Amino acid sequence: MMHRDSLNSQQVMMYSVLGIALFLSVWYGAVALEVTPKQFLPSPHEVLIKLSSLLTQPFSGFTLLAHIASSFQRFLYGFLLAICIGIPLGLLMALSKNTDRLITPFFESIRFVAPIAWVPFAALWFGTGIGGPVLVIFMGAFPPVLINTYRGAIHVDKKFIEAAQMLGAGRLRLMVEVLFPAAIPSIVAGLRISAGLGWQSLIGAELIVASSGVGYMMVKGQASIQTDIVMSGMIAIGIIGLAIDIGLRMIEKLVSKYREN
Amino acid sequence: MTQWLGIISANRFPTPADTWASLKTIALRGYGNGKLHQHILQSIGLVTIAFLVSAAAGVLLGIFMGANRKIEAIVNPIFLTLRPIPPLAWIPLAIVWLGLGNSAKVMVIFVAAFVPSVINTFTGIRSLDNAQREAALMLGVSRFSYYTEVLIPTAMPLIFSGLRLSLQASWTTLVAAELVGAVLGLGSILNQAAQDINPAMILVGMMSVAVCGWLMTQLLAYLEKFAMPWRHT
Amino acid sequence: MANIVFDGVEKSFSQGGKDFLAVGETNFTVADKEFVAIVGPSGCGKTTCLRMVAGFEAPSKGVIRVGGGIVTAPGPDRAVVFQQFALFPWKTVLDNVTFGLKAMGLSEQERNKRAADLITMVGLEGYEAAYPHQLSGGMQQRVAIARAYVLDPGVLLMDEPFGALDAQTRVVMQEELVKLARKNPRTVLFITHAVEEAVYLADRVVVMSRRPGLFKEVIDVKKLRIEENWDQHSRIEDVMDLSSFVHLRSQIWKLLREQH
Repeated sequence: MMHRDSLNSQQVMMYSVLGIALFLSVWYGAVALEVTPKQFLPSPHEVLIKLSSLLTQPFSGFTLLAHIASSFQRFLYGFLLAICIGIPLGLLMALSKNTDRLITPFFESIRFVAPIAWVPFAALWFGTGIGGPVLVIFMGAFPPVLINTYRGAIHVDKKFIEAAQMLGAGRLRLMVEVLFPAAIPSIVAGLRISAGLGWQSLIGAELIVASSGVGYMMVKGQASIQTDIVMSGMIAIGIIGLAIDIGLRMIEKLVSKYREN
Repeated sequence: MTQWLGIISANRFPTPADTWASLKTIALRGYGNGKLHQHILQSIGLVTIAFLVSAAAGVLLGIFMGANRKIEAIVNPIFLTLRPIPPLAWIPLAIVWLGLGNSAKVMVIFVAAFVPSVINTFTGIRSLDNAQREAALMLGVSRFSYYTEVLIPTAMPLIFSGLRLSLQASWTTLVAAELVGAVLGLGSILNQAAQDINPAMILVGMMSVAVCGWLMTQLLAYLEKFAMPWRHT
Repeated sequence: MANIVFDGVEKSFSQGGKDFLAVGETNFTVADKEFVAIVGPSGCGKTTCLRMVAGFEAPSKGVIRVGGGIVTAPGPDRAVVFQQFALFPWKTVLDNVTFGLKAMGLSEQERNKRAADLITMVGLEGYEAAYPHQLSGGMQQRVAIARAYVLDPGVLLMDEPFGALDAQTRVVMQEELVKLARKNPRTVLFITHAVEEAVYLADRVVVMSRRPGLFKEVIDVKKLRIEENWDQHSRIEDVMDLSSFVHLRSQIWKLLREQH
């Protein structure tokens, strides 16, 4: 019956297992039926074997762990740069209408360009150096940080600002002690979006302008038609992306718990 | 301004004059295998096809997952496993499987555009008010009517949100895919211009991408008004 | 013959791992075309009783029979009028009313005609093409009543239908429902926590105890209504002024208080 279709947790578990089983059997089935030559479609366990071997054996110059480290390092630089510029700028724009008017048109025109479209300029300006991917990551991670900081700070009651000004607080202190604390929940929420976009943009950039990193590894795997390497890369990217998201989610929880006290 | 700051050498940053000149070139004489309108048509054509296929598939799956808890429980784990993999990360695999042509691009766009449609449609279907659901049961309407006259209209606002996100994702992914390897299309302009060290042309490419994307989004917004007449009386 | 029979009916719910009895063992019959109102304190299970007759919930013990057949699922033979109206916002008034008729195999012409008749009967002639959000609460509930009536149901189930309306609209709706019910009688189960409403509308009033809900007292209102000829007064405030009405109302209030 349409109205009695709620499932209890046991049933959900059962159907979920069924789902995974279906997925794997289709995969194994395709491999067994030799839908495409073996090189193009490795079986699931072959991918996992390759993945674990890549952890210690280098491919295209580095082990998987080293590639991951390289990618993550770029991500971190771009992400931190976005935070270091985005948060202060967002607070300043919320405080000063002049700054707002100055920056907004510039920001709005750049904002809608997909981060990936910055790759050509990145290549042009930075070659295959680290600046390239960092620029692309920055372009992806920056907008959510700026927007969320601005939104969080702009809703602060004018009275608090005026009271602080009356007590002699200069712009800097206003930003740090009044606006920033108020904007924290919004900022933290924006960080998750920002990290997600940044990580995605990184992969795109590495497919084109990198000499190390997980994206680069996958391109090399693709060029030599080693599909198991390509898939290993995809799994690694997914896991790291998930880990970043979970990490930020925990920070979000800690921050809101801290604020309740 | 950046020129004046000397941060980046002058010949790697486009001036307005250069940009206008490049725009004329590509529109009238052509650049990188075609004139501007040919590149635009190629890109828009690909995006439209891929978007329509992914959106249709995504909305359908979202409807079934939303209406039927068993289907939701079966599909969810597959979804959750594949979701963390960014669509762009599928590009190398797509190239291995389908080569450097259009079908690889369609595959990657599909991966990107499919997900937002599914999720938003699903949420939309689930948002059906409880009392309305019971009213439909009480009225004894056919299963088909329940889907077409109750579930889908309820989900419409969110379905369109999902379509908007899918369209954006389609554009972004297309440009990335064309950057990696394409002969014709807006992304290929960017690629060619980078190789030719032609910053003005890069800018032309980026602006074209932004304008086309904006236009398609407006079209979608117009369709949205059309599909939900009861919201605008 | 659309009577409602509660045959050894009990309902328990599970909440947070514990079971609790919402409705205690109940044996009761609503006669064909009788109007029965159930009053009781909040949470006593009166709505649950209605929902079991409607088929949205199943009894934990016993069965509910309507017209001899056991209730297993919702259906248009037991039309429901909800407190929150539950109209479909994307359908016009006419479409909302005809929606339930589609499954009955009538031609479009016939459906529209029946719906139009009912829309007129509830006083909304001219509003057929309006959308629910353009109507007031009272008007929306009239559409809901039309939607229920158009199904020609054996049983009408009304779950605090005027609870979401303001006091004045409420009174108007009560008057109209009485007119409709007397003109077009059918078996009605009406849930309310307003005693006056119950006494004004019903043939019998059931007072339910608090959880676990049991049918504690059943008061025959119809007898008094006919004896004292309440129906000669067309205005509700005139009826509610009558000493017989006031007396019965206090009587029921006292019974209700004992349940708190």
